[in-house]
Amino acid sequence: MTRDLFRLALRNIGHRRLRSWLTVIGILIGTAAVVALISIGQGLQRTITGQVERIVGFNTLIISPRTQGLGQRIRVDLGRLRAVPGVKSAMALRAETAYIEGPGGKAFYNVLGYDPAMDEFTAEFNLTLASGGRMTAPGQAILGSRAARELAAQVGSNLTVDGKPFTVVGVLLQQTRQTGGFGSPGISLNDAVIVSYEDFGALYPGPELALFAIVRLQDKVVVDTVKEEVRAVLRAGGERNASIIDFEDLTQRIRSVVSGVQAFLAGIAGISILVGGIGVMNTMFMAVLERTREIGVMKAVGAKGWQVLLVYLFESGLMGLGGGALGLVFGLGAAIAATTIVSRLYQVQNPITPALSVGLIFGALLFSFVVGALSGVLPARRAAQLPPVEALRYE
Amino acid sequence: MSEVLVRLEKVTKVYRLGEVEVPALRGVDLAVERGHSLALMGRSGSGKSTLLHILGLLDRATTGRVLWDGQDVTGFRADRLAELRGRHIGFVFQTFNLVPTLTAWENVELPLVFLGVPGRERRGRAQAILEQLGLGQRLRHGPHQLSGGEQQRVAIARALAPNPDLILADEPTGNLDSASGQEILKLLSDLHRQGRTLVMVTHDAEAAQIAERVLRLRDGMIAEGAP
Repeated sequence: MTRDLFRLALRNIGHRRLRSWLTVIGILIGTAAVVALISIGQGLQRTITGQVERIVGFNTLIISPRTQGLGQRIRVDLGRLRAVPGVKSAMALRAETAYIEGPGGKAFYNVLGYDPAMDEFTAEFNLTLASGGRMTAPGQAILGSRAARELAAQVGSNLTVDGKPFTVVGVLLQQTRQTGGFGSPGISLNDAVIVSYEDFGALYPGPELALFAIVRLQDKVVVDTVKEEVRAVLRAGGERNASIIDFEDLTQRIRSVVSGVQAFLAGIAGISILVGGIGVMNTMFMAVLERTREIGVMKAVGAKGWQVLLVYLFESGLMGLGGGALGLVFGLGAAIAATTIVSRLYQVQNPITPALSVGLIFGALLFSFVVGALSGVLPARRAAQLPPVEALRYE
Repeated sequence: MSEVLVRLEKVTKVYRLGEVEVPALRGVDLAVERGHSLALMGRSGSGKSTLLHILGLLDRATTGRVLWDGQDVTGFRADRLAELRGRHIGFVFQTFNLVPTLTAWENVELPLVFLGVPGRERRGRAQAILEQLGLGQRLRHGPHQLSGGEQQRVAIARALAPNPDLILADEPTGNLDSASGQEILKLLSDLHRQGRTLVMVTHDAEAAQIAERVLRLRDGMIAEGAP
């Protein structure tokens, strides 16, 4: 029987086609906007977390000064960090200013103590070589492009760092980015002289003050437990100002920012669905008014109140659902179009693809149906409660 | 002595038009016996349509009692009355009152839909009735594609669909030319002859002749032909 009432509702919608379409469009626009915003937002989130995952990986802790800025260092002890149970490897980047003498010049440069273990981050840290190779033995150095030019040094040249001799084994590509190398402010890789971490330790004995440290964890360890251990080791070494973040923290931060913006925008778009709902309500009131006589007839031939109510609820719910389904299609289309255009215009390396989750599909359909049905409640109740004789007499 | 299908006891009906109270029925006692036919006549405003609506459980009496098949239904809830109407009473209106969005066939099915009769059975019953009434070729036509006489026959088919005990007709020939009107009257009198109980409101004396008993109403009271 419910199916038959549903069919009656369908008939009614089909009968006043233009008005039904206009009503449906009201819901359609709102749903399309919400779907487009959410799918772009989810896609963005996925792209960013994907990138973070690729760069940082799951089993990684990044230790850096809590307050970012020039001269901020953290005091680490890689030897003790490596001894923490669950830690696979630990590496750090150190920096000092040193007096360098080269074949054709002498000046102060940033000396970086670089751990070859960090080679896995070469691409992310912009450590691409223009010439030469990597450091393989003590006493070797890699020069930033400007340092090499100013010192008139090339692969094979000899230079001294604070008086100690080094041989140039590589020269970096010129950096065009404004950001400092390794993502650290104030340090330009173009002006850098990179030596191995051990050589750096020999040059500057004393506490290991690093720009940041990276701790790799063994598989299948509880990240939080190791994190606490690492924090304890840092504290024991006198370092209280370090922030330790893991992949989960990072993605959480990204997620919270993206979803915050997304919720805000989708909320605004959601209002337009509610406005569409008012359109449905208006249409349904008109329909009930227009069909008052018909409702009287239905009651005369035995329709009960709830049956009339259902017919009208189905009708408004269907219009909501129809608008929702179409809005889903249009919204996704708009999202794809928007991301494609943006990716083309800005030549994004990792283009964002809108994400269409099952939750979004069902959520959009359910929400639009519920808005439609709820908008129909008042008109449908009015229809259901019409006294049959008065309805029949209605002209 | 035959069985009483509907009985009205001291039924009054007062309509409220804003502040003014308009009495439509002022104490009507009436018994409609099963298998009988009755014509209600009277000038417009005499209360005959109101009486028909109360007999058909479409409207409620202001005071008095309505007994359906011996049971007092005066205080029944709207949905119970709808159930009784759907199962036992068929209405035929002056203006046909077919649902314009539905075909002839679907219009006849409508009462059965609300009774929950399964689709196949429903369609079969509706088709059989329409064929009996000579509308076998018009099953899929919408009301606007049918002549007035045909529309009224569809309406009668719809009234017959639940196999009701009582057929109520409110000026069934009022909107028809005389030929079609004759046809409809013949159809109604045939139905009565087959054993259906019929109550018809009319102001056409000729139409009233198909009924065994004629009641005249005047100012909300039965003036003539009372039992």
